[in-house]
Amino acid sequence: MYGENGDRMRTELAALLRQHRVQHRLDPSGSQPSGDRESAGLLILRYRHTVLSWCTQAVLAAKPLVFSTALPAPANPFRASNESGAVASELARALHAAQESSTAGNATLEMLSAPSDNAVVEHWRSVASAAALAEHDTNGSAAVALTAAQAEALVGDVAAITQALVVLDHRYSNTPGWEKLADRGRLGWAALATALDVSLGQPDYSVDQTGWRPRTKVLRGPVRPGVLGVLQAEHNLLVHLRSFPNAMNLRLIVDSQRQVSNSLTPMAERINGDYAARWSARGTTYAVIQQQLRNIGGRLGHGAPAVGEAANASARVRALPPDTIIEPRVLAGFQTLFDRIDHRIADIVDDGIDRGAFVERITIPKLGTGAKHLIIPAAEKFIPVTRASDLDVVRTLRERLRPPPDSGPASPGQSRADLHTAILHRPASRGTPSEAPQL
Amino acid sequence: MDLAHAQTLVEARSYIAALADNARSVEASSAYGYVLIELDRLHGDESPALSTDGLTTSRDVLFAVANSAVEELLGHGLDALDIELLLARLDEAHSLDRL
Repeated sequence: MYGENGDRMRTELAALLRQHRVQHRLDPSGSQPSGDRESAGLLILRYRHTVLSWCTQAVLAAKPLVFSTALPAPANPFRASNESGAVASELARALHAAQESSTAGNATLEMLSAPSDNAVVEHWRSVASAAALAEHDTNGSAAVALTAAQAEALVGDVAAITQALVVLDHRYSNTPGWEKLADRGRLGWAALATALDVSLGQPDYSVDQTGWRPRTKVLRGPVRPGVLGVLQAEHNLLVHLRSFPNAMNLRLIVDSQRQVSNSLTPMAERINGDYAARWSARGTTYAVIQQQLRNIGGRLGHGAPAVGEAANASARVRALPPDTIIEPRVLAGFQTLFDRIDHRIADIVDDGIDRGAFVERITIPKLGTGAKHLIIPAAEKFIPVTRASDLDVVRTLRERLRPPPDSGPASPGQSRADLHTAILHRPASRGTPSEAPQL
Repeated sequence: MDLAHAQTLVEARSYIAALADNARSVEASSAYGYVLIELDRLHGDESPALSTDGLTTSRDVLFAVANSAVEELLGHGLDALDIELLLARLDEAHSLDRL
């Protein structure tokens, strides 16, 4: 996930920016005047190259989606406003030039994974390994899913990291064998201008939730005691719902969710009234869905493992003593799982009806008793399910079960503020000249 | 499935569904729900639609007619042991509902 890797890069860079007297830190023993410092410097150059590579790739991936707020739209409508002259393009060009002129090359896997005794090198190793991992989060298929506002946030992050690299380049310039960033002044100003341009827009920090994440796995092993066992079963149910259940198994799963919600509601009331109200409404919604699914059939699908976990959840929640106290963190875990299960169940019904795996049961004619005709046809028309919204159960799922999207803006997070503070940081006791980028 | 079998099945499903809707507790309602699902499973999930419109809300009356409808299914080729197990589950759900 980009949030974790970006956070790690910013945290480590902020730690590096707060370190002064770098030459002393590179060779704390002072036994060899330049040998240790040079080898450490060369290693750092490899790490920096890895970070520069990520910065270049990320800004190139995000650039098509960043539309400058500073430049007027070109008079020629056939010319894109994010071509040459836009600040993100300038940053991309400057980063590309810096990367091309760096002769160090990317850090190898051994360099990224082998810890160092030197604290400065270790910080750089952390930044570089986070940058290498972030390539999964911001390139390729991840870049295709970016929105314009998320791309702005990403470019803003790259700009801040580039500024940090410029400041650190200035600070490490006395290291033996150090290779300065090519056209450092231009790179610094391009980063500064990009950061300003992004701050004038409305970056969407939900970009932190994008990128690669490990596959969710079933929680195996012994059953957790008490309410944690219910949480375990709910988690496993969500994982098993990846496979498509048939209609009967879906009814069993729906019933289990009704029971779990209704049983947990009184326990949640003592801790969080908001969750209690939502779970009570969820229980009622599942009761309605359960009624409406009685007239839905279909034998396609499987879902036996999901039904097993659903039965575990129902049985474990019934076994809980009524005075069980649930921690707020566990309550939040239930809420997250409920939201995802609700989404998944709604998707399953929608998909099932669309592809014909779920069908509406027919109403049969009745046998007459004493009327003129022996068989009385059903007093309703048979309407084919041409659209999923024709069914009551689909309307219920769409209107009541799907949780509304979280409309609150994502927070920029602490590490972004820390990095910005660290870029402007200077030691209080010494009147050193500013290390801000200069022309 | 002939029409008489289908008609009996619709009645049994409808009465059990009405029992589930009128149950006093979530547990009892779920227990009736399981009986309904079991009945559908015995028919390979090829049951016709049910309707609870116009049925009584008296649980004792519904239980009696549901029992009768399920027993009547015996004459339509269902296994006697399956029917007995179904009746036992229905009885269990009803006793849960009376608690």
